[in-house]
Amino acid sequence: MPAAARRTVRDPALAIAAAVVAALLAFFVLYPLVALLARVFLADGQLGIGLLLEVLGQPGHRAAFANSLLLATLVGVTGTALGFLFAFTAARAGLTVAWARFLDVATLLPLISPPFTTSISLIFSFGPRGLITHDLLGLKGVTIYGLSGTLAAETLTYFPIAYLTLRPVLSAMGNTLDEMAMSLGGSRRHLFRTVTLPLAVPGLANAFLLLFAASLADFATPLILAGNRFPVLPTEAYLQITGLFDLQGGAVLSFALLVPAVAVFLLQRYWVGRRQYVTVTGKAGPEGTAKGVSPAARAVLVALCLLVAAFILYLYALLIWASVVAAFGANHAFTLDHYRVIFTEGRKAIGDTLVIALLGMPLGGLYGVLVGYIVARGRFAGRQLLELAAMINYALPGTIVGIAYLIAFNDPPVALTGTALIIVACYVFRYSPTGIRATIAQLHQIDRSLEEASESLGAKGGTTFRRIVMPLILPAFFAGLGVVFIRSMTAISATIFLVSIDWTLITVRILENMTELALGPAAAFSVFVIVVVMVVTGLVNALLRRLRAGQEMPVAGMGGG
Amino acid sequence: MNDTLATGAIRRIAAVLALSVAGAAAADAQTLNAYSIWPENWARPMLQEFEAASGIKVNFLRFSSGEALARVIAEKNNPRVDVLFGGPVETFAAGVKEGVFEPYKPPSFAALPARFREANGQWVAIADDPLVFMTNAKFLKEHGLKAPASWDDLLNPAYRNMLQMADARTSGTAVTRIFSVMEVNGRDEEKGFAYMKKLRQNVQLYTKSGGGGTLPVGLGQAAGGIFFIVDALDTKAKGYDVEISFPREGIGTAAEGIALLKGAKNPDAGRKLIDWATSPAMQSLFAKHKINFVPAHPDVKTEPSLAAVLKDAKIFPIDDAYAQDNRKKFVARWIAEVLP
Repeated sequence: MPAAARRTVRDPALAIAAAVVAALLAFFVLYPLVALLARVFLADGQLGIGLLLEVLGQPGHRAAFANSLLLATLVGVTGTALGFLFAFTAARAGLTVAWARFLDVATLLPLISPPFTTSISLIFSFGPRGLITHDLLGLKGVTIYGLSGTLAAETLTYFPIAYLTLRPVLSAMGNTLDEMAMSLGGSRRHLFRTVTLPLAVPGLANAFLLLFAASLADFATPLILAGNRFPVLPTEAYLQITGLFDLQGGAVLSFALLVPAVAVFLLQRYWVGRRQYVTVTGKAGPEGTAKGVSPAARAVLVALCLLVAAFILYLYALLIWASVVAAFGANHAFTLDHYRVIFTEGRKAIGDTLVIALLGMPLGGLYGVLVGYIVARGRFAGRQLLELAAMINYALPGTIVGIAYLIAFNDPPVALTGTALIIVACYVFRYSPTGIRATIAQLHQIDRSLEEASESLGAKGGTTFRRIVMPLILPAFFAGLGVVFIRSMTAISATIFLVSIDWTLITVRILENMTELALGPAAAFSVFVIVVVMVVTGLVNALLRRLRAGQEMPVAGMGGG
Repeated sequence: MNDTLATGAIRRIAAVLALSVAGAAAADAQTLNAYSIWPENWARPMLQEFEAASGIKVNFLRFSSGEALARVIAEKNNPRVDVLFGGPVETFAAGVKEGVFEPYKPPSFAALPARFREANGQWVAIADDPLVFMTNAKFLKEHGLKAPASWDDLLNPAYRNMLQMADARTSGTAVTRIFSVMEVNGRDEEKGFAYMKKLRQNVQLYTKSGGGGTLPVGLGQAAGGIFFIVDALDTKAKGYDVEISFPREGIGTAAEGIALLKGAKNPDAGRKLIDWATSPAMQSLFAKHKINFVPAHPDVKTEPSLAAVLKDAKIFPIDDAYAQDNRKKFVARWIAEVLP
């Protein structure tokens, strides 16, 4: 490709940046993955699948594999259904602004919360002596541990992803389509079945796959709720490594996660993802009145959504309550002692987490913009591969990434475990793809001629980037940075393998508190994280509005912490 | 977020940046790093007392014993901490087998009974911690039950799906429980595992941490379980209505150990902590901080209310040699046969 080569030579800054990114990806994404695969397939220098067969041959592990797939499928179905209900109501039921806002807030909460929050509240509500099952309904001997409890918690945690994915799809169809169909004599039911649903199919498939991936990767919920009769892969891999120090067995179990995760990612990206973009980018028609939904149906839809939203808010109210009573369930005297504990004894965890999040934030924002720019504007062979490599750690469940890092960076020559760097790197390379995608999307809207004009006037690539491109992709930069910050505050599945005596994290402390008997501090930590994250989300969104980006931070891509 | 936190965060960022430029900083002689198996609420007050007494700053991170042991073994070639603090003797016995400890005999060594020290000083005991049965009082009343007084009482179908106890993959409490079952079954493995499989029918959840089930039992989410007395009494002290009982066949007690790690970066500070923790100085502070461990040092009296609880209980020590030889095997068998 002579043209490409000429361009690369003409734009040394871009070439250097691409080389640096490629090197970083090789070191922080590909190398750990290769190290993990080597651990799975190499035994005494011999390539083979003996270890794989041995570990997966154990009935408990086979069950975990089957359970993981079953759970992910069910969460995909129930979460998509619930998400569709919300999206349909929000887009088509003609909600007032205030009610729409209420649904948005209620659905945003689970997305930006630290892990365990839904699980903790569900245990209190639905256990053998739960507030709802026992105190309210008088049921006895109910158990929350197992498939049903985990399914409920994950559905509530992840359905907002489906909501955020489906809402634009349904809004884009617009009410005009409904009006046309109805003026042609179609009944509402007929309209729903033959127009709305078929048009939403790619969106539904997309939502299903996103939820499937989120559930497959979820570590925190099953750790609390799955119990021992319903083991799943991420928790089994964790126990294998931390409890038995069987790194190899853990590596194999995480490899078993890799296969379905990659399949889902490829499906989502190359099949559903493409179909969906056609629908989403269509402009919404002029605002018509919502006629596609009968008044009775509308009342039912709104009531259902409000019920679910109220239930979510109830779960969070319970969490706040647990953080301000002396001993939940026994002594309900008001106390701020748990907050004193997290700001004194928990200060190191809070400090460490903030340092890591604040370090990761600018790095992640920059990295996202850089990769996005290279992919969108670079003209060299292999840039598609570069993009794919940048997406790997995002697509893989955190358990795999954490174990791969532990294997790759534990021993010299690159002994990074125990440092802040490894946790920051883990977050940057895992959560920047939101920024990358936002950058690419933004750049696709800006015509190249703007940059070419700059260059024809004699500006170098670097200058063009700084003066022309940078201001245009600033919204993507802030969106990417916001997501990295939020995930640094709330993620656990990968970094639980990477904490050390010097660097620990709030989420890991919450888990420790939960497994000891310090529920108050666990709840207080969770509330603290939610408040910090809400403040930062608010700031970033305010900034984005000021930049007239016309978009909010894309939190929908954040499932599967 | 308060000011000190914010400035602290900024300082740490600066430190990280400086460190990445200047390379590794020299270790501060007056600090000590430890993995604590004792939960934070026991470890923190004790280590703060040590900081006050010695002027040595202690950084510690809490793990369940299985996790702490796994970390120490994994870091054998380049230990990140100096001391393994607290945790049942079977964990330390396993550590001896892996060769991770540096023998050290503190001044109290000679005064301790044989079961509270490893002959070469690989580990030394700082407390004794018996297992107990803990049950939810309301549950007992509703089902017309008495607090379980025999291992077989726990097999009662009334407890079906209502017991919580620790997971042997991560918790030393669980391993101590397994050894207790073995002892009351005359170390007959088949009998012991047959019992545990029967008990499995009544288990709602195996928890990651030894004390993980205490809160659910306190709340009535679970009916009961087998816990260390220190966790059980703390649950009671928090106001949860629970009953503590002992099986007439007897139940095991685990010495809680401390050990210096081979290759520790701050060995002198580590030895000072071991000196202090094994001495009456620390163990007479248990009562002050309401920590219900039985002191290991013969010169320290057991706190009267704790002694009253233990008065008629039949308690036997877990034999560390037996534990050392069989831990791995029993845990593996437990995972394969009991857990599924």
